[in-house]
Amino acid sequence: MVEVLIPGTLAEALGMLADREGAVPLAGGTDVLLDMRTGRSDPTVLVDMSRLDGLRGVGIDGDLVTIGAMTSIRTIERDAELAARSTAVPEAAHVLGSVQIRVMATLGGNLCHATPSAEMPPPLLVHGAEVDIAGPDGGRTVPLADLFAGPGATTLDPGELVAAVRYPAPSNLGSCYLRQTVRWSMDLAGVGVAASVAVDGDRITTATVALGAVAPTPFVVGGVADLMADDPWDPERAGEAGRMAAAASSPISDARGSADYRCSVVAALVPRALGIAYRRAIGGWPVGRFSPTNGLVEEPA
Amino acid sequence: MRIELMVNGDPVSRLVEGSESLLDLLRNDLGLVGTKWGCLTGDCGACTVLVNSEPVVSCLKACAQLDGSTVTTIEGLTPTHGLSDLQQAFVDHFATQCGFCTPGMIMAAEALVNSGVPADEAAIREGLSGNLCRCTGYNKIVDAVMSVIEQRNA
Ligand code: FES
Ligand code: FES
Repeated sequence: MVEVLIPGTLAEALGMLADREGAVPLAGGTDVLLDMRTGRSDPTVLVDMSRLDGLRGVGIDGDLVTIGAMTSIRTIERDAELAARSTAVPEAAHVLGSVQIRVMATLGGNLCHATPSAEMPPPLLVHGAEVDIAGPDGGRTVPLADLFAGPGATTLDPGELVAAVRYPAPSNLGSCYLRQTVRWSMDLAGVGVAASVAVDGDRITTATVALGAVAPTPFVVGGVADLMADDPWDPERAGEAGRMAAAASSPISDARGSADYRCSVVAALVPRALGIAYRRAIGGWPVGRFSPTNGLVEEPA
Repeated sequence: MRIELMVNGDPVSRLVEGSESLLDLLRNDLGLVGTKWGCLTGDCGACTVLVNSEPVVSCLKACAQLDGSTVTTIEGLTPTHGLSDLQQAFVDHFATQCGFCTPGMIMAAEALVNSGVPADEAAIREGLSGNLCRCTGYNKIVDAVMSVIEQRNA
């Protein structure tokens, strides 16, 4: 028997997680139920987060975006304002699973399951996201990169929850998420690449690249800003950023590709993602036709 | 725990336990066997139903989260007499062969058509990409859904 507790407030949820050792928070269920069914986990108590309406929704205040942990991936995919301000984020949401999975799955669940190939971390990392963590001893805020400890493992203490994700989305910043998959749909990324570029006129002020599926955790590639900043777009340097990113990757070989292949894909996708992010930043690349039904529909190059 | 929900317009009140999925409830308890039991891992879409008008894979939907929800299955979509426009279009376009994927496919298509998707092949394929069909090769399914979008927009 698996017991389900249904808190009505965040405080109640934290209390239940504190009182019941081994209690697992249940968000959209696409990972928790799957893991129970396949025997990967065997919780005796689930704490349902679906009534915590305060953790659901997208808020934009000036240049600051806040997304509640219980916001569905489908909501993020279809949010026109997010698409305009932080294109990579709905772009990643759009390719996650299927419509049915996106309706159910939540941002908090996607982050806390800590799958190395998860779609949402790379785009949030290139936007410099922080996570608000709620716990029995109050709240704390950490950079998103610090949430991940390894495949399937986070740095959350027992009884802690991710409540929200926050990031700045200034209008001089463009971003992009690209991935390589074996199947077009319903597949995990073999390589996930997010890039952001901020500009002053046509001059790059900073650039960031983050990768998924090519290391035990999603990570930001070091040194890209130093390489790209202070000059206009330079394809040579974007190519160099791709080689740096490949060198920083430590992928495994599996059904989605060998380690060598994945590194080659990183080297190819990083300059492409940087180029799209740059063109979005200077306003020279349409963000894509945005359809409230289908999210972003990419314009041909 | 006890949940109360509406299934195809009828009130349902049941005791459920934590690992019980909506698919278990529909098939085993309510006898609504139109919804199919496929992969049970969220991959095939055969178990697709609408919860509060949104398509979900019922095999991964915990019953415990459904108190107060409205669920529509293929049985609920079917009019008392005859077929719905999507069901008829699947017949007319030979979009069903063995039929195993069909209930889930039609529920996903219903949500897609209701969402105001344009009559665009890529958009239809994208919207149905969570539903596997091992028989038809998909083209006839796309044709069927396309015809209903055109019909409803006409
Ligand atoms: S049975 Fe639910 S997705 Fe396959
Ligand atoms: S008709 Fe047989 S699986 Fe689709």
